[in-house]
Amino acid sequence: MKGKVRRWAAALLAVAILAAAVGMITLYSRHFSRRIYEESTGYLQEIYTQVNNAFISFAEKNWGILEGWEDYINSMGGKSDAKIGEFIRKQQEYWRFTDFYFLTEDGQCMKPDGSRDKIDLSDSPDGFLPDSGRPSLLEETMSDGKSVTMFTLPVEEGEYRGFAYDAIAISYSNVDMAESLNVEAFSGKSQCFVVYADGSVLLSTQTGGNVFGNYLSYLRAGSDLSGEDLQKLQEDWETGTPGILRCKIGNAVQYISYQPIGYQDCILLGVVPEQVANSTFRQIQAGTVDLLVKIFLMVGLYVFVYLIYRNWKQTRQNRMELEYRDILFDIISNNVDDIFLMLEGGTWKADYVSPNVERLLGVPKEAVLESTEALAGCLVDPGARVSKEELGEIPVSKGRSWEQEYRNSKTGELRWYRETVYHEKVKDMEKFLFVLSDRTQERMMNQSLQEALDMAKSANEAKSHFLANMSHDIRTPMNAIVGFAALLEKDAGQQEKVREYSRKISSSSKHLLSLINDVLDMSKIESGKTSLNVEEFDLPELLEELNTILRPQAKAKSQSFKTHMQGTLTEQLTGDKLRLNQILINLLSNAIKYTPDGGKIDFFIQELPKPSPKYARLRFVVKDNGIGMSEEFLKSVFDPFAREESSMTSAIQGTGLGMAITKNLVDLMGGTIQVESRLGEGTTFTVEMSFALPDQVKDEAGWLRQKVRKVLVVNGQEDVCRDVREVLRGAGLEASYVTTADGAVREVSLAHAQGADYQAVLLDTQIGGESGLGAASRIKEELGEDAPILALASHNWSEIEDEARKAGIDAFLPKPFFVSTFWQALAPLFSGDDVRGEEAGPDEAGRAPLEGLLFLVAEDVELNAEVLYEMMKIEGASCEFAVNGKEAVELFEKSEPGHYDMILMDVQMPVMDGYEAARRIRASSHPEASTIPIVAMTANAFAEDVRNALDAGMNAHLAKPIDMEAVKALIGKILKEPGGKEA
Amino acid sequence: MKKKLAFFPALALAAALCLLSACGPKEDGRVTLTLMGKKTDLAKNYMTRIFEQYEKETGNELEILAYEDEEFEEAAAKKAEEGDLPDLMMHFNNSDLEILQPEEHFYCMDGESWIDSLTPAAKAYCENPKGKIFGLPFWEMSVSGCYYNKTLLDSLGLKPASTQKEFDVLCQALADIGQTPICWPADGCGWMYQFGLDPVFADDPERLDKLNRNEASYADVPEVADMLEWLLGASARGWFGDSYMDIGWSDISPSINSGETAMVFIWDTWFYTDFEEGKYTRDDFALMPVFMGTAEDGTYEGGNLNMLMARKDGEHLEEALGFLEFCADPDHYNAAFRGVATESVFQGQTTNIESDMVLDAEESVKEKQRVSTAEPGIVGYHTQDVCNAVTELMAGKTDVEGCIRLLDEYRVKEAKRQGAKGF
Repeated sequence: MKGKVRRWAAALLAVAILAAAVGMITLYSRHFSRRIYEESTGYLQEIYTQVNNAFISFAEKNWGILEGWEDYINSMGGKSDAKIGEFIRKQQEYWRFTDFYFLTEDGQCMKPDGSRDKIDLSDSPDGFLPDSGRPSLLEETMSDGKSVTMFTLPVEEGEYRGFAYDAIAISYSNVDMAESLNVEAFSGKSQCFVVYADGSVLLSTQTGGNVFGNYLSYLRAGSDLSGEDLQKLQEDWETGTPGILRCKIGNAVQYISYQPIGYQDCILLGVVPEQVANSTFRQIQAGTVDLLVKIFLMVGLYVFVYLIYRNWKQTRQNRMELEYRDILFDIISNNVDDIFLMLEGGTWKADYVSPNVERLLGVPKEAVLESTEALAGCLVDPGARVSKEELGEIPVSKGRSWEQEYRNSKTGELRWYRETVYHEKVKDMEKFLFVLSDRTQERMMNQSLQEALDMAKSANEAKSHFLANMSHDIRTPMNAIVGFAALLEKDAGQQEKVREYSRKISSSSKHLLSLINDVLDMSKIESGKTSLNVEEFDLPELLEELNTILRPQAKAKSQSFKTHMQGTLTEQLTGDKLRLNQILINLLSNAIKYTPDGGKIDFFIQELPKPSPKYARLRFVVKDNGIGMSEEFLKSVFDPFAREESSMTSAIQGTGLGMAITKNLVDLMGGTIQVESRLGEGTTFTVEMSFALPDQVKDEAGWLRQKVRKVLVVNGQEDVCRDVREVLRGAGLEASYVTTADGAVREVSLAHAQGADYQAVLLDTQIGGESGLGAASRIKEELGEDAPILALASHNWSEIEDEARKAGIDAFLPKPFFVSTFWQALAPLFSGDDVRGEEAGPDEAGRAPLEGLLFLVAEDVELNAEVLYEMMKIEGASCEFAVNGKEAVELFEKSEPGHYDMILMDVQMPVMDGYEAARRIRASSHPEASTIPIVAMTANAFAEDVRNALDAGMNAHLAKPIDMEAVKALIGKILKEPGGKEA
Repeated sequence: MKKKLAFFPALALAAALCLLSACGPKEDGRVTLTLMGKKTDLAKNYMTRIFEQYEKETGNELEILAYEDEEFEEAAAKKAEEGDLPDLMMHFNNSDLEILQPEEHFYCMDGESWIDSLTPAAKAYCENPKGKIFGLPFWEMSVSGCYYNKTLLDSLGLKPASTQKEFDVLCQALADIGQTPICWPADGCGWMYQFGLDPVFADDPERLDKLNRNEASYADVPEVADMLEWLLGASARGWFGDSYMDIGWSDISPSINSGETAMVFIWDTWFYTDFEEGKYTRDDFALMPVFMGTAEDGTYEGGNLNMLMARKDGEHLEEALGFLEFCADPDHYNAAFRGVATESVFQGQTTNIESDMVLDAEESVKEKQRVSTAEPGIVGYHTQDVCNAVTELMAGKTDVEGCIRLLDEYRVKEAKRQGAKGF
């Protein structure tokens, strides 16, 4: 406010100074002009008085001359014209007049040479002068066109050359007269007239000749003099009053000076242009004004420069402050997540854009400055953009806020901004300040809170739902168990019913167990405690296990179960074999479960292009032609407890957790799972996942490649033939295939005849409708014993082993076909080892697998101990029990070597748990400390429990409740391992 | 239709009779003569009078071939080229006549008895550059000069000028008080420029000869530049007024009779034929010489005369020459020119009247009058060409030198068109 007042005061002061200066100059100029006028008029009067005097002197001189001649001419008149002529000629030479005339009163005239002329007397105001008897002055244009000024003198009548005259005159050319009268003081730019009182021009010094007839008329017609002025002028002339006036003739201002000559009432008129008369004064005036103006300009310039300097200094300071503020603001805005924009109303161009706009929204500041459209392009919802009209509706000095979601155009990151627009007027200019305040965290927090709330609600609902489900799903088998147990007690005497009830109790128990297992798995997965047990594993082995487990199930339902390997597969992989097994079992068992009897299940394994040299990516496809799923159910197929309720599924037992577990495990392993299904047509699950490759792949069969280079594949199914052929070729072997037994015999014979024998034949046990064994004997006949025949069996080969060996089969390969198993099967044949004994199985002596074995069992629960004891007893084995780990360790340490065949170790026990006990046993000094098999037998059934068991030095893990079939299989396997009792 | 019959009943009747009689000698010895001329020229009262007299007194007939003014020259040239010239032709002694090759097609009148009856001025006009006369001048003879409004000048306290300097002073004195001095109809009135050039070439025939032999150009004649400079200066000082470039022939009278302008360069008979009285009448005007920067004492231009020429190889040459003798008879021409305002063409001409303006300036006219020289004296000179070139100069499109070059180009081009020797 103060500054504004100060600026106004300064401006007023400047205006006042300027006005004072202009006023002073004006006053000075006026005063000077008045002085000039006074000086000029005085000067003019003085000049023309001198001219007048000179003219009068000149006229009087001429008249005096004429008077002097009068007597002589009269005395000579009529006597000697020649003498008069000579006299006049001499006088003319002396006085230098133009001509001499003898005149008559009517204007006739004669020159001394006798030539005549006539002068016009009509212009003379009072007629011819001789009548008045006074000397006179005339301005005439003679017959030769020359204008002359004539001085006449009346004389006594005389005669010259017969010409009667009554006056004599001498004349001067007007040009000469003008020159003599011209006023040199005005540089020839003035005019001099001799006029009569009525304005008639008698004589003019006009350069080039006189064209003025009456100067008063000229002034009347062409000057700015009023009638009154003209009247006064004429009166002055008539009364012989001298004077001077200033008037404008045309566009030029003239001074007119007049004064009587004293003859014939003539007036000497001087006309001088004002600018000529005043030129000297004007020069002085102009010089003075010029000086003043220059001084003023100098002062003004100084003030101007000073003001400019001060303004520049101020501007520089302001600019520095602005730059400082800009830098500061840029730094601040770069360190906050708020974006600032200043838009100009009307043009909607950005005046200011904070530099962090590029960091936060991926749009360069310059792009936004060029056009705000660049920013609008980041809006996730372009329709939510605030229109110019809406902005215009914001009252001045008010603001409006809303939230917008923006996408960083570089990173694609989505962020929520609270957009506040303030409408301001800055120096009458409409400005809109945009503040985009990042609310992403707040929004995410709110969202998280909302999600948490939703989840809590959902969890609560899930819990209720879960409990309801559990209640139902547990009660269902429990109902059977309790019910049949009651019936068992009641019908204990009826053996058939006891067996029936026991079978149903067992079935319900297994279902209940699987339910518990699934629930626990699911719980573990959802709590995020599931971990992977990554280790190197053998894919063929895994597939063989799957085949072993699932093929009987499929066979039980008369289903076709085929495993297809497409292309060559990497056999040694690193990953969680157990989880992969679980995933594939879930999918395949579901396929078997939900495919009607006689249906078809295909299991495809394909290796996809390697995502990187260190990883292999496999695709597992489980395809069935079962009951399929509805589109609606597909959406929730991976949800826990999701089961499609239909007449077809109602009879099938299931927990509804299998697919949820599968999906979670696939996710956990970084894979993908997809499902396609059509109700009544079947379902296809596709799982893709990557496995790390072991650092070094063993090539144990290198030496064999030297011996086996050419293999014939014999199989009734061409696609299988192609798969196997490709696998063999991938292993560097030359392979051919035939699809019939006859074809196989022919091919072998032909090759043999050509000396290009096959070094091995891979023969399916079933070729079309023909048994492969017949073909085997015929091939054997052709090739002899050198070329081994390997049977590719999809079922338990032990059933046909004897017959096969008789037919010439040298070894068996399980389906699906793997190169590794192929080499494994070939190796003993080429090294001479007979592997037939190894393949004989555990039941060689015809005894039960556990018969005669003594187990040290660490079990704190007496009931469990009792059950185990009874079961072992049934199998012919015996047990010694310890109630905790410590006691088990002590018993083992005290035992003689070979006393115990195996230790079955519970994990959760008082005093000392099973892990610690196992570690102590392994660390003990007992001779069998490192070799005695220790198997965890625990209700802790998760993968990490398995790993913990192994880490503690145990050999294997068995989950409770005890499945005696599984116990027998595992124990049998352990005992056959190197170091085992049967190894 | 180029040919047009005269509209006068008598002539029409004569023409009809001529056609009926196959234009040949009649059985009684009377003949019909064909006479070709411009329609407006043939319509002058003194012409119709002489035609009527001739037919009445001789019994011969005249077939008048009257052409529109703008079509006449082209028709005449075509007839000359095709050998189809009439017995008689009316034509000014100007540059267009050269196209008709008078020596080849027209009878030379040098030996005719009426030659001596012409006034010197008339005779001088009729002579071609070689001093030969090919026609009888039978036309009104005017005096061209500067006609000024003496009443207006008197009221302004000014007098007419007698020298170029005085004229300039007079113009400036008028301009100083807001009075436009000169009416200068620049649009199409190219005849004004010849007034300035007349004294240049009339006073120095050698200079004219060189120009006509193409041994010199306008650039070699300083007075041409003087005239152009004077025109330019006069224009710059406002002596022609503000809008003179846009006014033409028809604007002269309103400008002069209203007092809007004080002077005009024109001829006396114009005041009897075209001047319309307004605020000022013919009596308000007087004559002084023309001053255009080329003659200090000024100049007057003698009249331009239409001549009656006889076809050299015509069937009725004898009768045609007889017609000219008939016209040159004092009784006949005095009867024809009775009351017509013109200077005398024949020395015995007594019935014509001379304008007061000319009479008042008689001495000055006698002293300063020059025969019209630029037109037809300069070969290739054409009033419209000069008008066009000077208009370029006045409009600021060229300078004096450029204007002179343009004047020479036009002149040479026209001379070549005429087939003049040396070009």
